[in-house]
Amino acid sequence: MNIFKGFSATLTIALCLFAPLPAQASDDRTQVLGTWYRMILELVRHTPTQTPPVASRSFAYTALIAYEATASGSDRLQTLAGQVNGLPPAPPREAGATYDEDVVLNAALGLAVEVYFANTGPTGQRAKAALAKQLGTLTAEGVDPDTLARSQAYGIALAETIIAASTTDGGAVIENMGFPMTYTLGGEPQDWVPTNLIQLQQAPLLPAWGKNRPLTLPDGEACPLPPPPAYSEDPSSPFYKEAMEVYEVSKSLTDEQKTIARFWSDDPMLSPTPPGHWVAIIFQIAERDRMPIEDQVNALVRLGMAVSDGFIVNWRDKYKYDLLRPVTYIRRVIDPKWEPILNTPPFPEYPSGHSTQSGAAAQVLTAVFGEPFAFTDSTHVDDGLAPRDFPDFWTAANEAGISRLYGGIHFRAAIDLGLSQGACVGDFVNALQTWK
Amino acid sequence: MRAALLLTLLPLPALAQDPAIAPFTEETASAGFAHSFMGEWEFMVGGGTAVFDCNGDARPDIFAAGGTNPAVLFVNASAPAGPLAFTRTEAGLEETSVSGAYPLDIDGDGTLDLALLRVGPDRLMRGLGDCQFEDASAQWGFDGLDLWSTAFAATWEKGATLPTLAIGTYIDRTQEAFPWGNCTPNHLYRPNAQGTGYDAPLPLEPGHCALSILFTDWDRQGTPDLRVSNDREYYKGGQEQLWHVEPGQPPRLFTEAEGWQRLRIWGMGIAQEDLNFDGFPEFFLTSMADNKLQTLAEIPADDPPLPRYRDIALKSGVTAHRPYTGGDLRPSTAWHAQFGDVNNDGLSDLYVVKGNVWAMPDFAEDDPNNLLLGRADGTFLESGDKAGVASMAQGRGGALVDLNADGLLDMIAINRNEPSQLWRNTGTGLGNWIALDLVLPGPNRNAIGAWIELRRPDGKVMQREVQVGGGHVGGILVPHHFGLGTATSAEIRILWPDGTTGDWQTLAANGTWRLEPGAEPIPLPAN
Repeated sequence: MNIFKGFSATLTIALCLFAPLPAQASDDRTQVLGTWYRMILELVRHTPTQTPPVASRSFAYTALIAYEATASGSDRLQTLAGQVNGLPPAPPREAGATYDEDVVLNAALGLAVEVYFANTGPTGQRAKAALAKQLGTLTAEGVDPDTLARSQAYGIALAETIIAASTTDGGAVIENMGFPMTYTLGGEPQDWVPTNLIQLQQAPLLPAWGKNRPLTLPDGEACPLPPPPAYSEDPSSPFYKEAMEVYEVSKSLTDEQKTIARFWSDDPMLSPTPPGHWVAIIFQIAERDRMPIEDQVNALVRLGMAVSDGFIVNWRDKYKYDLLRPVTYIRRVIDPKWEPILNTPPFPEYPSGHSTQSGAAAQVLTAVFGEPFAFTDSTHVDDGLAPRDFPDFWTAANEAGISRLYGGIHFRAAIDLGLSQGACVGDFVNALQTWK
Repeated sequence: MRAALLLTLLPLPALAQDPAIAPFTEETASAGFAHSFMGEWEFMVGGGTAVFDCNGDARPDIFAAGGTNPAVLFVNASAPAGPLAFTRTEAGLEETSVSGAYPLDIDGDGTLDLALLRVGPDRLMRGLGDCQFEDASAQWGFDGLDLWSTAFAATWEKGATLPTLAIGTYIDRTQEAFPWGNCTPNHLYRPNAQGTGYDAPLPLEPGHCALSILFTDWDRQGTPDLRVSNDREYYKGGQEQLWHVEPGQPPRLFTEAEGWQRLRIWGMGIAQEDLNFDGFPEFFLTSMADNKLQTLAEIPADDPPLPRYRDIALKSGVTAHRPYTGGDLRPSTAWHAQFGDVNNDGLSDLYVVKGNVWAMPDFAEDDPNNLLLGRADGTFLESGDKAGVASMAQGRGGALVDLNADGLLDMIAINRNEPSQLWRNTGTGLGNWIALDLVLPGPNRNAIGAWIELRRPDGKVMQREVQVGGGHVGGILVPHHFGLGTATSAEIRILWPDGTTGDWQTLAANGTWRLEPGAEPIPLPAN
């Protein structure tokens, strides 16, 4: 029985979700994983603090918990403790004791979701509780009481260990939805200024996020970027030319370019965010290819850490260079009435966050799945956006990057160098050993 | 050295031209206003109040949705200009699962009826007089459906003998674990060909989890369209909506090609008022964190405007995005909104009811209601704390309405899972006022769809549309109140729903006038 039908077929999933599992103990971990991740993707969308950097961290730690829970009972996977910054060893299992792996994974993920989405709203709380109850009942069926209790306790202990470690990484507490209560703008012509009329967003998002402890990078200085082209209003300058490119492209956008801009827009609170978009892709592939649980958690944990570390270095450089957005420059220098087709995000421009994290995602997923690796991305079907086909992950990542230029929210340098920065981050993740 | 520009998030200092504060005194207990809107998930939204005169004594009575509690009608026993006093009265309205209500005279008999919105089948309650009601849903052919109803609006389409009703709905409540993306359709109820009742409800699809809807002649073309404010928490692929609702035609959404701009907010309430005296209404849209104040982006000289709006909330000082008092600095959650002139200075003020959805830790728990006083320059001054109405309760519905016939707007807040509240406006020395009771012969007795024009001393004309709808699951239908400042009379003209235009009339201030086409204005006693 397959209770996870893929992320695009919402109704089908909803109908199948609570169909009974077989009475006997069996390996339904892919269903447990997929169902919890369907919930996670919804909670990312519906929890106001889950802006893209915060969501990337949530994806990283929930994936680490899923991975370690699986690895602890696997003869194929090895722990990431000792390879990942701040990750302690998983608690040992009782020698000779029996564990039910469905129950271990379900207990661990249930706690992970409870903690990393503790601040979701009443509907999210209700949904979490309903799902925990349902999956708890279903995974317990056919499991003897001792094994059940031992397995639940182990899953919870493992999750608690990782959750405790995560509290010191700098990203555990988010106030005011990530917007500082006071903020001093740079004041120079090239510096970022607010780009919308939302009072909350007159200060930029998470200015200290770049100081968080990365999971896979040796330190916070890894994967540095050169400065963006020097600010200038001279029409012959590289900076002006970059801005003019954004402007001219916006004036002649094809339908395909508009579709691409909207497909990768991945707005917080209206989508699973950019890192969630890549997580959704993994589950679509997992469903299509019926990936074993070890392969799924391997891909998930690598992706989670890649996007999380990608956002850390990206945010570090955003606030290092503090560059203004195209909408500010173009209205100031080229066309006072110019409107990009996407809403400009409320933080500095360089480098592009989506590009960095998409580059990181492509680098690790290419390593995991090989190349070429064709897939169909149906992430936004429920939002009315048609699926898109890609021959490989880097084609998708490059499209995610250029979508920000089509959308009028990034200059080309932020995209190109952001993708490169992501590849750099991905290389650190690819160096990790997961298979025994 | 970089110039340091410190963004201040503190309230702006008072300005010399700041408006007079209208002080309020809470009289919840002394007035006998004992009520709570109760319930858990299915009642995290709702909590509307309908304020109208159900016994013909010219004093508005209060109907309050109760959620899991029975709904309650409080009959007004306040003496003119005296303390507020209400008597809880059995009225035939004591339904449970009521999320809100709107008064209107459905059958045109001169007695106001009540549309009850419920988590479950809605009901149309016929007013029998003396604050008694009966369920006339079946008699009027009204199929209330079994949905989670959260929004209502009504209009009289041209030539119709019954109002066209629009009911907004929320989430498919059977979807416990994955409710997102499961918004149910809104519905339009049009009169049948005989004019004796309603045809089957017409789905307005897609539904995007509406929490406020409003028929509005926003472009002044003579036919109201249907504005829908939707909660982005639950829709997928959704946005705010504007529907063409043209007589005899199926409703259809405004498109981007027609100028409609996509906006996605946690839409919870709509309030409409012509704030800049250009004849076109502004819209205040409540949400979480920043709220929106929309004004038309462009008004062509010779053509109708397109539905393109600029957000002027920030520059007007009405983002109301976080508590202004009490020390809880997390973002706010806004529900009911209503314009009204609480200090009678001739400028509309804005009342916003606030309250955490339900223990959402990213949003303020101590979230005071707003009372934003309009200034002549178009900006607003927060006065909730100074006025004594900065309630920290979990507000939902509300109303600004003169409850004791003294010409001063009083205030109601319906709170969830804690006592609702009532404040009397106890200001003295505030401006003059006038209230207008519009009456039409025929079915549309209360002239829904009319526009009231009030020429100000500076020559500008304020225009207000007579509407049923908007707010958060509740509304008022009482004489239309205007502050006049120091003016001792008001120049008034009515644009009636049939397209005829009344004469300019000069009416004495500080009284209520009944206006009917072709008839002399009649002063109404305060009782």
